Amino acid sequence: MNRRTLLKAGAAVGAAQIASPFVIAARGETPIKIGMVDPLTGVYAAVAQNEVVGARLAVDNINAKGGVLGRPLELLVEDSANDVGTGVQKTRKLIERDQVSFIIGDVNSGIAQAMAQVTAEKKVLHVVSGGHTDGITGKDCKWNVYRVCNTTRMEANSVSDLLFNKYGKRWHFITPDYAFGHTLQEACAANLKKLGGTVTGNELAPLGTSDFSAYLIKARAANPDVLILLPQGSDMVNCLKQIVQFGINRQIHVAGTQQELESLEALPPEARIGIWMFEWYWKQANTPHLAEFVAEIRKRTGGKVPTARTWFGYTSVYTFALAANREKTIDSFKLAQALGDFEMPDEVKLQPNKVYYRKGDHQLMTSAFVGEAQPKGASDPQDLFRVDSIVAGDTTSPPVSETGCTLQWPA
Amino acid sequence: MTGGVVTSARSLTGARIFEVQRADAMTQLLLFNVTNGLIIGAFYVLMALGLSLILNLSNVINFAHGGFLVIGGYIAYTITPYLGFWGALLVAPLLTAAIGIVVERILIRPLYGRDPLYSLLLTFGLAFIIEDGTRFIWGAQGKPVTIPAFLAQPLSYEFFFITGYRLFMVLMVVASVSLLFALLRYTRLGMRIRAGTLDLETVSALGINVGMLRSLNFAVGVFLAGLSGVLAAGQLGLEPTMGTGLLMPSFVAIIVGGVGSLPGTLFGGLLIGVASGVTAVFLPSASEAIMYVLMAVVLLIRPRGLFGEEGMMT
Repeated sequence: MNRRTLLKAGAAVGAAQIASPFVIAARGETPIKIGMVDPLTGVYAAVAQNEVVGARLAVDNINAKGGVLGRPLELLVEDSANDVGTGVQKTRKLIERDQVSFIIGDVNSGIAQAMAQVTAEKKVLHVVSGGHTDGITGKDCKWNVYRVCNTTRMEANSVSDLLFNKYGKRWHFITPDYAFGHTLQEACAANLKKLGGTVTGNELAPLGTSDFSAYLIKARAANPDVLILLPQGSDMVNCLKQIVQFGINRQIHVAGTQQELESLEALPPEARIGIWMFEWYWKQANTPHLAEFVAEIRKRTGGKVPTARTWFGYTSVYTFALAANREKTIDSFKLAQALGDFEMPDEVKLQPNKVYYRKGDHQLMTSAFVGEAQPKGASDPQDLFRVDSIVAGDTTSPPVSETGCTLQWPA
Repeated sequence: MTGGVVTSARSLTGARIFEVQRADAMTQLLLFNVTNGLIIGAFYVLMALGLSLILNLSNVINFAHGGFLVIGGYIAYTITPYLGFWGALLVAPLLTAAIGIVVERILIRPLYGRDPLYSLLLTFGLAFIIEDGTRFIWGAQGKPVTIPAFLAQPLSYEFFFITGYRLFMVLMVVASVSLLFALLRYTRLGMRIRAGTLDLETVSALGINVGMLRSLNFAVGVFLAGLSGVLAAGQLGLEPTMGTGLLMPSFVAIIVGGVGSLPGTLFGGLLIGVASGVTAVFLPSASEAIMYVLMAVVLLIRPRGLFGEEGMMT
């Protein structure tokens, strides 16, 4: 009952610990506040907490180098509890009461979209760190909203050809029954049709399904070449675990689009299987500044490596700081304009391809790390994915004209 | 002409064969899902029996039951490296029950004299505390629990959804239910629990330590939650929120079966398992909702539940 109060107290204690060092470092200057809303409790808690870890590292790095326009950054984190109403309320609170200059969030696509309504109304620059549904930088795009993570269409495009050529042309889907799942499945099915394959079925599983056996019975009866798994978080874990116990992976190829290190870590070794795309991966050959980033995160998390989510949080904070320092302003309107075609430097992008925000839809052109899950890390127990190719964002993303985005700038 | 007739006759037979095959496939799908539903239902039964025990004797609607399930699962995860899966299967539910006794003594006992709403609110809050507590101790990141390899595979190619582990789970449920019913039927403690369920005041007047009785009864209920947790962790991802999703079907099982009746709970659990399994074939999006529809229908037609006795919830 008193969960929110409890959480607020917890968040306050956490924020106080993080906030104190740099307030001391830049005495006398009022901090520039960034508000972050993410589902720290609920089914997406693990990925959300990693976004916060990444954001905090960025804040500390920036403050150690003199902050933004000589002022320190301060990160205020709020829990959306994976609930749209709460997410909106926390966003309003951060803007109205705490007077934050920028907003980051949310992991949940639905909450991210609702938050964008608020930030657009309040004219506050907003970076969507981890909500994937197409609309955010598509038909619902807004002048003040930028997105770091991939769109569902980019995810589908990054692996479709490979799955078709390697695994076969009859695909059966297990799809989470909400916005994210629907757009992702549509994108995959459209690609499959273009390639000349057939969809043998699409099992719409409600979000939070724990037992997938009924869907798996139907999927196996349809006898497809590939079983495509689109659920995320604990749903993905439950689904993969049951598939392997049922031995389905020995008869049908199992694969999907988005996969996350958080999910693979929650699985027993025998269930870490399949071809997927990661949105960022901590192990790459010869990428400048990557080693320092990984080492710094490991120092802060008791040895846990950064995940794509950590990088999302990190890049979201840097988006504001880099633009503000270059433009010498923290005005949301001016920064939103300056971020069109803004390219991320090596210290932030931490991947080989060019990474930049696209002017037409405000989507970050970030790479897809396509490869295969591996049961056990060879050199490191957390190395659970083998990256085979790193595909640039502007090749997986459809052109702006196909996204349905028309940006309306305030007069 | 003749040729044409033969061809159409052939294609007719072909169509019939196809029809028969389709009907066969449908029957098989249905059969599979009924069996599958029974397996899922068996799990709900284990959860629901513990809830039902506590509700019947102490009038406590234990919303923290899902939390105890999660505790059981995490304890199993923690001790598996030392004791193995089998050791954890035995020890984790016992430790969970021990935590249950402490919770009952300190938090729930003071509320027995009051309206059941008080203990409902308390356990509702406790559920959140347990969820955040497990997140605090073990982290938000899900944990992998590995089960013995020989259980983690299907028994036959055809019935691939009956894995060694799921069969083992059903056997565990059967054994627990049999033991529980034997305990209630043949032991002194069981008789007292049953008598207390019917009339606690008289039992107390006869000189039986009701406080002790409630504690033990609560512990048995939480033991079952802990056992469910260990079993669930074997086939689902172990994470702090997993209890919530498993708790509601158990409540529905109790209400459908009838409050106050353990056989009713048993039947209710199996029924909603099958109902949700079969619905998943035809209308997947309604596979969860069907439980609540079933509950609504039962409540409309027979408000006390299928096996319930009148006036148990007053």
